[in-house]
Amino acid sequence: MFIEQLLGLLRAAGWTLALCVSAGVAGTIIGFLLGVGQVSKIVVLRWITTAYVTVIRGVPVLLLIFFVYFGIPVLFAVDLAPFLAGFVALTVVAAAYMGETFRGAIQAVPRGQFEAAEALGVRYLDRTFRVIMPQALRIAVPSLTGYLINLVKDSSLIGIIGFVELTRAAKILSNLTLDPLGAFLMAAVIYFMISFTISRIGVAVERKLAPKSKASSRKLATTAIPAGN
Amino acid sequence: MITIEKLHKQFGEVEVLRGIDLTVAAHETVCVIGPSGSGKSTLLRCINGLEAITSGTITVGGIDIGASKNNLAEVRKETGMVFQQFNLFPHMTARENVAFAPMRVRGLSKAEAQDRANRLLERVGLSEKGDSFPSQLSGGQQQRVAIARALAMEPKVMLFDEPTSALDPEIVGEVLDTMRTLAEEGMTMVVVTHEMGFAREVSDRVVFMDQGQVVEIATPQEMFGSPKQERTKSFLDKVL
Repeated sequence: MFIEQLLGLLRAAGWTLALCVSAGVAGTIIGFLLGVGQVSKIVVLRWITTAYVTVIRGVPVLLLIFFVYFGIPVLFAVDLAPFLAGFVALTVVAAAYMGETFRGAIQAVPRGQFEAAEALGVRYLDRTFRVIMPQALRIAVPSLTGYLINLVKDSSLIGIIGFVELTRAAKILSNLTLDPLGAFLMAAVIYFMISFTISRIGVAVERKLAPKSKASSRKLATTAIPAGN
Repeated sequence: MITIEKLHKQFGEVEVLRGIDLTVAAHETVCVIGPSGSGKSTLLRCINGLEAITSGTITVGGIDIGASKNNLAEVRKETGMVFQQFNLFPHMTARENVAFAPMRVRGLSKAEAQDRANRLLERVGLSEKGDSFPSQLSGGQQQRVAIARALAMEPKVMLFDEPTSALDPEIVGEVLDTMRTLAEEGMTMVVVTHEMGFAREVSDRVVFMDQGQVVEIATPQEMFGSPKQERTKSFLDKVL
């Protein structure tokens, strides 16, 4: 009996994971583009991306889920499966937050780095992807990790539109067994294990990207002071 | 090699450069001195287009940098710059820092670029440090790597923006020695500096700037021995 219940929850956890991984990957990619757009020289691009980030961040996630699930069928006369609606909604939100994280990280790279590359005649793409981004990524990783953990927890809201992810599965289980404490506790443990794994991966990535010695972060901080005159 | 005519530069309402005329001949070393806020760094940064000019013309090696983006890109390839804050790329080793632009801009193969990097690191006395990251080097070593990085593009002109101002006094010498050697080898150099000793010894001509204008251009002997302008005198009295 217990094993069966646990298997049911684990299957639902699998769906939660599928939702989070797909929305996490799509959100990171779109977020990256939004971040680059927000610091672009092209005014219109800056305007659009900034507006997107500002609007999406100002709306509750639950409302966005409703909007996608109930609103898109009205607008385009297509029905979205709950999973797809959940994926779209979470991606839209994740992209906004990650866009903001990437923007902040790009702007945190000292201006002198752009100038040094510019002075050497390095072109825009090489400058962006080989000089600025490796440094921005290092700055962004802790916030990105934090946001991915948030995403896992936000995914519990997808249960409301009828998709059986982990939280909804736990609710169903508690109705069956009349043991809410046990069902929700098991779900909580699984959520924690997912989040904990993400944060460990985040720390590992951070270590890998970290500059060589500890003293370096302090030295880097001093090089960030803009040149006088 | 460098010709600057009627150069004006405004930041918003503030006019930082108010009509600069200056020529620098090939193989000449010119030091630019003057009080903080006199516009010397801005002048230097205009020469390779890090600052867009408001009006006037700058030509480097016969190429007018303001005429097109293409021209500016050409001039940047031929112009090396060394910054006060070094601005080495922290995620690359010293060798990668030096090899980066030759590979990406000049299209050298990785082997060729590394070979060039090794030679240049040796030239600035850091052949042992090729695999070190900037964070593992002292300020003086970082600045010498930065000089090697600029030289790796085989520039015709080198611009130095207060290259020793961020260094501890006891390691200023190693950077100045590297620059002195470069000047003796006939590199065309424009050096914005507060090191009056260096300006006096190494430069062919010294430019004194104040309030966005060139006040006086003279040989080091004249500039430090018998300056003609009152403003030059009072500045030199304070710093010497």
